[in-house]
Amino acid sequence: MLLLHIWLIQALVVLLVSESIGDLVETCGVINPESPVILSGSNFTALCVLKEKCMSTYEVNASHIVWKANRVLIPEEQYTVINATTSSVTLTNISLSNVQLICNILAFGQIEMNIYGVRMRVGFPPEKPKNLNCIVNEGKKMKCQWDPGRETQLETNFTLKSEWATEKFPDCKAKPDTPTSCTVAYSPVYFVNVEVWVEAQNALGKAVSNHINFDPIDRVKPNPPYNLSVSNSEELSSILKLTWINPRITNVISLKYNIHYKAKDASAWSQIPPEDTTATRTSFTVQDLKPFTEYVFRIRCMKEDGKGFWSDWSEDASGTTYEARPSKAPSFWYKIPPQTQGSRSVRLIWKALPPFEANGKILDYEVTLTRWKSRSQNFTVNDTDLTVNLTNDRYIATLAARNLVGKSDASVLTIPACDFQATHPVTDLKAYPRDNMLWVEWTPPSKAVRKYIVEWCVLSDTSPCVPDWQQESGTVHRTYLRGKLVESKCYLITVTPGYSDGPGTPESTKAYLKQSAPSKGPIVRTKKVGKNEAILEWDQLPVDVQNGFIRNYTIFYKTSNGNETAVNVDSSHTEYTLSSLTSDTLYMVRMTAYTDEGGKDGPEFTFTTPKFAQGEIEAIVVPVCLAFLLTTLLGVLFCFNKRDLIKKHIWPNVPDPSKSHIAQWSPHTPPRHNFNSKDQIYSDGNFTDVSVVEIEANDKKSFPEDLKSLDLFKKEKISTEGHSSGIGGSSCMSSSRPSISSSDENESAQNTSSTVQYSTVVHSGYRHQVPSVQVFSRSESTQPLLDSEERPEDLQLVDNVESGDGILPRQQYFKQNCSQPKTSPNISHFEKSNQASSGSEEDCLRLKQQQISDQISQSCGSEQMEMFQEVPATDAFGSETEGQVERFETVGMEFTVDEGMPKSYLPQTVRQGGYMPQ
Amino acid sequence: MLACLCTVLWHLPTVPALNRTGDPGPGPSIQKTYDLTRYLEHQLRSLAGTYLNYLGPPFNEPDFNPPRLGAETLPRATVNLEVWRSLNDKLRLTQNYEAYSHLLCYLRGLNRQAATAELRRSLAHFCTSLQGLLGSIAGVMAALGYPLPQPLPGTEPTWAPGPAHSDFLQKMDDFWLLKELQTWLWRSAKDFNRLKKKMQPPAAAVTLHLEAHGF
Repeated sequence: MLLLHIWLIQALVVLLVSESIGDLVETCGVINPESPVILSGSNFTALCVLKEKCMSTYEVNASHIVWKANRVLIPEEQYTVINATTSSVTLTNISLSNVQLICNILAFGQIEMNIYGVRMRVGFPPEKPKNLNCIVNEGKKMKCQWDPGRETQLETNFTLKSEWATEKFPDCKAKPDTPTSCTVAYSPVYFVNVEVWVEAQNALGKAVSNHINFDPIDRVKPNPPYNLSVSNSEELSSILKLTWINPRITNVISLKYNIHYKAKDASAWSQIPPEDTTATRTSFTVQDLKPFTEYVFRIRCMKEDGKGFWSDWSEDASGTTYEARPSKAPSFWYKIPPQTQGSRSVRLIWKALPPFEANGKILDYEVTLTRWKSRSQNFTVNDTDLTVNLTNDRYIATLAARNLVGKSDASVLTIPACDFQATHPVTDLKAYPRDNMLWVEWTPPSKAVRKYIVEWCVLSDTSPCVPDWQQESGTVHRTYLRGKLVESKCYLITVTPGYSDGPGTPESTKAYLKQSAPSKGPIVRTKKVGKNEAILEWDQLPVDVQNGFIRNYTIFYKTSNGNETAVNVDSSHTEYTLSSLTSDTLYMVRMTAYTDEGGKDGPEFTFTTPKFAQGEIEAIVVPVCLAFLLTTLLGVLFCFNKRDLIKKHIWPNVPDPSKSHIAQWSPHTPPRHNFNSKDQIYSDGNFTDVSVVEIEANDKKSFPEDLKSLDLFKKEKISTEGHSSGIGGSSCMSSSRPSISSSDENESAQNTSSTVQYSTVVHSGYRHQVPSVQVFSRSESTQPLLDSEERPEDLQLVDNVESGDGILPRQQYFKQNCSQPKTSPNISHFEKSNQASSGSEEDCLRLKQQQISDQISQSCGSEQMEMFQEVPATDAFGSETEGQVERFETVGMEFTVDEGMPKSYLPQTVRQGGYMPQ
Repeated sequence: MLACLCTVLWHLPTVPALNRTGDPGPGPSIQKTYDLTRYLEHQLRSLAGTYLNYLGPPFNEPDFNPPRLGAETLPRATVNLEVWRSLNDKLRLTQNYEAYSHLLCYLRGLNRQAATAELRRSLAHFCTSLQGLLGSIAGVMAALGYPLPQPLPGTEPTWAPGPAHSDFLQKMDDFWLLKELQTWLWRSAKDFNRLKKKMQPPAAAVTLHLEAHGF
């Protein structure tokens, strides 16, 4: 900020000083020379002379002079103080074009003041003008031009000077904007030589060009001939006559000419040989032209001897040669529309001759039709087709085109009879594009061919095939299609040879003028998606979008985040199986169809592979279900087969009270009230299924098998405990046998003395089994009933002891049971297991028992009775035992009913299974 | 005879006048002068038409053929054919030079009187051209080594239309000037054509000369 302030003040001071000194500058000093012009690159010395007045005012002398060039201080080494008032400066090698040189003084030794300034002009002297040349445009004044040489950077004047031997002409000063040319003020005088030169002059010098001496007539550029007109000749259709008017200069000079001509549509000009037009003339006849063709002409001229310049071209003129007879017979072919009954309709078609063959305006066509050995029919047609009705015979048709001058040769066509069979096709038919044309090539058939007919049309799904055609001579075996063909369209090309007896078999091929990429890509979709593979399918692209021959397909597929995989597929396929896919994955697939020129993507298609292959679930589920069913069935069968056995294990044999009878017991059977009371006590508990109580510790070890089975039963018991205190546990084989609560049992046991109906158990049926009402008669006896029932069992056991070892421990165990009070529920489990394991044995035993019961019953001693006294006590503990008891009761009862007479308590008839389901 | 011919032929290249590769001689300039007379003749035809139209009837009428009156000072181009044929080159050229010198002076006076700018421009150009013709003739004379005729003092032709002249007579003088000019150009064309032919076949002249020598 402070700096800026100081700077501003300084600037202000300098300004004020300059202002005040401004008046003094005029008188303070002067630079000599005042307006120097300096040769570029040279040295220059300027003097600055101070005036006395200034010197005293500002207390300066020549040594206080400083020089500046273009505001830049010149070093002091270049100064020379000549005397007290004069200082000089020497500038060396000046190259700038414009230098401002200023002489300053340091007033009072420090304040710089401008004294004087000059502008130095730096440049070069003019070079000698070169290449002086003059032209005289006819009717105008002479113009000369030259090459001025190096740029002088100074104002340079060019003066064109001209003179005769006897007279000088006024100078021609070039204008500053066109320093290289000048047009003289006077009209040229032909046939008098003139001398011309150029002088270039500027402040640094003057240069003069070489003098040129010439006759202006030799520098003339004539005006072009005009009113060019063209006329034809009726006699000769190959000539045209040109006439024109020469420019006025032909009055004084002779001319030669250039004549150009071309057919109207051509681009390049042809030239009449110059030697034919070397003298002044006003007309020319051009020969060897084509008939009935429009030609364009132009002409120019110059001095005959070639001195001077060619004139401009005249305006174009055109003319048409006269008509001539058509030079060629038209192409001729026929078409037979679908047959109609009776007569044969034939459409004769032909091509209008191109102008170069028509040689005039075709007025009409003459068609003759000749049936075999009969008079010919004549037709005159203006159009290019004729439909005639023919018989089924063979016909010869001829065609000639007619113009104003004459008739063409005739085209002959054989229309074969109806029953004609075409043969001899061309072979190796090929079509290919070359040089933007579609070429067709074939191998000629062995038979002599009159002509070939080449037909073609655009194949499209949307539009019908509209054929175009052309005729080729019989010697040709390669041609190109002379029609307006379009790129990217499929052309169906048919070649039919024409023989003297009729047409041959047509051959076809397809080609494109230029293929391009398809305009649409194939739409791919899945046909079937498997766990690891997918079958993709697509439709062939319609021909309208193919734009070329489909060479192959590329299938791109990828997962949503995976790399894209490309598969190339041959173009003949319409489906493809992608394998090695990952299951349960989203795939994106798209397809590109390629022609020779490129490919085009179809839309992207996504699909997801399933987690399981088709049928995989079924393959798992069905066998599992089947296995389960089979297992279940087998189980059921097994159960069914072994139902009795199972029944035994699951449902205890509950004696049917209705079939019970009172066993006979001996009077000295010891009273068991104690036991009963004991029973009472225990029956209140839940130990319903315990039949036997205690096992010695040692026994446990000796029967590990039993322990295991006990465990099983323990489980069963737990489940049973939960819901029932009745007889037996529930199981799959549980019967509808009414369960009788132990309390009831006990009650009934207590009331055996009553003779009334024991009880009626009504239940609603178990598992849809029809319940029956069981009427139980009241037993006469009270407790001894059980005793008598159990006795045979004991006997049986005794018997078993005698016959086998296996049961022996149990018997002992039973005995031991009798002697010891049983309180532990654990022991009852053991007991249960024993029961389960021995169930089957019991069954067998019972059979035996039946057989031997009679024998044994008598011999049964008191000892055995004693043993049985213990048993009811165990019965009272659990319903399981009670079941057995009940069963025995039933047996006993049956026995009673059947026999109808009381016997000693030895139930003889125990049926297999003992238990009587309803 | 044959030896003589051979000797002459042997020395032929050394004869300076016949050395075609060096100085072209007066031939081309005579040809050029001839072309110029034709050119001026053509130029004058259009100029005269314009100027006579400017003078108005009866001067511009095609069959206007007045007697030559008051134009005595104009050099006469018409001359007896025999006289013309007998003229030598120097005299022929001198007559031409003198005639055009006078005619040019009269023509410049005509230019001063011309009323329209276009006419003045045409006359000026014709004057320049005629000046060129004079130079050309002088060139030919110089080439042939003839001195230019010195204009006699006092006979310097002037065109000073005196008050004696009526407007019609003045126009009559103009008419005769143009007519005499045209006649002179015709004559000059013939003169230079004759000169041209005389100069053109130098080989034939040599042969003739040799024949003469031989005799």
